[in-house]
Amino acid sequence: MSNRMPGSDGERPVIRERCGYRSPDGPVRLLTMLAVVGAILVTTAYSEPADRLVVYSGRAERLIKPVLDVFQAKTGIHIDLLSSGTTELVNRLQAEGVRTPADLFLTNDAGSLERARELGLLRPLPMREIERAVPAQFRAPDNSWVGLSGRFWIVAYNTTLVKPEEVKSILDLADPRWKDKVAIPNAGSEYLQAGVSVIKAVHGEERTRQFLQGLKTNAGTQVYGKSSQIVEAVAKGQVAVGLVNHYYIYRHLATQPQAPIAALMPDQSEGAMGAIMNVAGIGVVRHTRHLDSAKLLVEFLVSQAGQKMFADLDKEYPLHPEVKADPALPERRSFRAAMVPLARLAELREPTMALIEQVGLR
Amino acid sequence: MICAPLMYIVYLALSADSSVWSRLWNTRIPELLFNTVSLAVSVSAGTFVLGVSLAWLVVRYNFLGRQVWEWALVLPLAMPTYVLAYVYTYLLGAGGPVEQAWQIWAGPEGRVFSPHSYAGATLVMTLDTFPFVYLLTRAALLNFNLSYEEVARVCGASRLRRMLTVTLPLLRPAIVAGLSLVILYVVSDFGAVSLLRFQTFTYAVYQQITGRYDQTAAGVLSLLLVLFALIFLVIERWFRERSRFYQTTGRYRVPARKPCGPLGTGLITLYMVVVFGIAFGLPALLLIHWSVSAVAEGAVDVRFLGFMRNSVFLSGLAATCALLIGTPLAYLASRWPSRLNVLCLQAAYAGYVLPGPVGALALLVLFSHLAPFWYGTAVVLIVAYIVHFLPAGLQTMEPALQQVTPNLEEAARSLGLGPVRTFRETTLPLVQGGFVAAWVLMFLQCMKELPATLLLRPVGFDTLAVRVWLEASEEYYKLAAPSALLIVIMTLPALLLLVSKDWRAA
Repeated sequence: MSNRMPGSDGERPVIRERCGYRSPDGPVRLLTMLAVVGAILVTTAYSEPADRLVVYSGRAERLIKPVLDVFQAKTGIHIDLLSSGTTELVNRLQAEGVRTPADLFLTNDAGSLERARELGLLRPLPMREIERAVPAQFRAPDNSWVGLSGRFWIVAYNTTLVKPEEVKSILDLADPRWKDKVAIPNAGSEYLQAGVSVIKAVHGEERTRQFLQGLKTNAGTQVYGKSSQIVEAVAKGQVAVGLVNHYYIYRHLATQPQAPIAALMPDQSEGAMGAIMNVAGIGVVRHTRHLDSAKLLVEFLVSQAGQKMFADLDKEYPLHPEVKADPALPERRSFRAAMVPLARLAELREPTMALIEQVGLR
Repeated sequence: MICAPLMYIVYLALSADSSVWSRLWNTRIPELLFNTVSLAVSVSAGTFVLGVSLAWLVVRYNFLGRQVWEWALVLPLAMPTYVLAYVYTYLLGAGGPVEQAWQIWAGPEGRVFSPHSYAGATLVMTLDTFPFVYLLTRAALLNFNLSYEEVARVCGASRLRRMLTVTLPLLRPAIVAGLSLVILYVVSDFGAVSLLRFQTFTYAVYQQITGRYDQTAAGVLSLLLVLFALIFLVIERWFRERSRFYQTTGRYRVPARKPCGPLGTGLITLYMVVVFGIAFGLPALLLIHWSVSAVAEGAVDVRFLGFMRNSVFLSGLAATCALLIGTPLAYLASRWPSRLNVLCLQAAYAGYVLPGPVGALALLVLFSHLAPFWYGTAVVLIVAYIVHFLPAGLQTMEPALQQVTPNLEEAARSLGLGPVRTFRETTLPLVQGGFVAAWVLMFLQCMKELPATLLLRPVGFDTLAVRVWLEASEEYYKLAAPSALLIVIMTLPALLLLVSKDWRAA
């Protein structure tokens, strides 16, 4: 802090002026310098190569970047990735409207993709490559979005604490015997929202409400922001069971094969609901200015090579019928999926959210 | 411009359907209110004990290495809360080093408390914010007039009684000011509570913004948070008005430092080492260790230069703009304190009660309606920084300007200089120190800012803070470390510069 006294050197500037001497003022010079540096940075930050795509991605960066890097090396098209929350990105696309810098929207939840389609944010893609590669139930009717890999919302259990026979259905986790033994994702999780939507579509509102209430009590404070944390908690025995997508378990086992954790496919008995399925998918943004490059990327991702890479990075099930899943995963034909069409996840979303909030999940 | 976000939040919340209100009231609000208040209370208690005791030891006792500790105890301020939080999720987490050590002692069933809890959040926030209280109390103790204590002593008051009835009450303004900074920090913190999964208002607002298509619930929670902060500020101000102390004589002696024997020195050093170690030393060492192995694994590439450039660029530009905006506000209010000018200045303080996610929410919607051209560009982010951090800058700029007597400017004018040149050549050189401090302060806070950056960052514009969060929230400790370390390193020199001039570092 400057505490020069009046009468001492406080009058210096005036005296200088009268002598005709002027030193450059410190702050003024500092500010000018900063402005120049800033201008240089702005120009370097925004100088674009001619061919580039902007991908808004709700998928974890390390699960998508390697695939995009291969695409980039192959085609020379540079890709800018904005990784963020799925719902947040839908909100962002909507707010940006025609001015959006995004060319593609990639995410882990069909409900969000369908929602984006309903909002008119995505562009139909009449491409034979897509129709050949991805079965119709895994994409929008007009190909506004295309599923790329399948994932199942299942039960992870600690093998030293739980026997697999103890859980038959996801709904069992609401049973009081699991008090303080269940880890769940928070209410903002698209997996939870989609999962609850499917349960609600199959079992009805009342049954789902009871399930959620039981789950809330059983989970207590074990509410996580990330599925990887749930798996971690189960593997360490902090909780006995957790609700996650299947690949989190296999990814954990890939790095720590000795971890006492395993996946349990629930609801497989005769007449039961089936495992809750969702897809990760991609859509081209309606207002893209790089349609051709964007189509190239989609084409690459649905091709056999792209499918293998995309699904294996995350230990998901490829949707291309001729591409095999990672050998560590259970054979896809060995279990059943719930029969709720993916596109319905969007319309089911809002009532599900209302229910989740009424129950008071975090 | 600065008030617009605040007004928008009020509008959004009031336009919400009453069913949204009642639903939130029945489900989330009681828990959030309880969590936020109890965290603020426990962190205040913790920082009070740590801050006052450390300041007392450093000022009143003489022991080996005192000067070093005097500085070292400020360093935790260089550690953003989310960095400390992620280090502690590792340290205290299940199977982490602390638990393993504990199990050697207590057997394989031994558990330490989870970092993802009230206790964990309290610990992290306390360790991160106690320097506020420490710095202010230390400054007050250094200016303390010893004669009050001596009078009490002559009157036969015991040591404890002197402490309770004379010393502490005299330190009260400083302690209260420190604690109020701590509380504002706790209430508006996003990084630590989100990594520790402790539900407070600010965290809930962020979850609502990112998890829902409909933003009215976020607006409702935001308004409550703003009101909460506002009520607190009013109480704090009232409290401060009531307890003013004046030193009537200019005569005062620097209190003699009590020399300590080897035992005393040992105990004090142990205390300092423990506090400093868990708040800064150990986390910093871990970050270095992780960074080294991340570099060895080739996880650090040229992209880091880009993240660094983005951080410096955004923070530098925001701090510069804030300085340019703040100068006329502070200047006009101190030279021509008309009602309008003072009002403008007070309005600029609105950002204080707008925690990161709240301001970001308001700006997102405002920009998409009013200036869609700028939506999704760095402009929005810079505006968010300015709104949020201008108050902190103004607090440093205002006293700097007030210390310059208007006589000097009048003299310059009477010697024939115009108003602009007078300001440039008379006032500016005199307030230079204060203004540089304000710039550095705002720059630092922008570097560390997280929630608004996450919500508003343009495409391909990740900053160091964003990288830390992206990696740490997936529990990729090693990958988060280089960015975190860079933030700490870049913050350190500025912090030391600030502390040597001014305590209001964050």
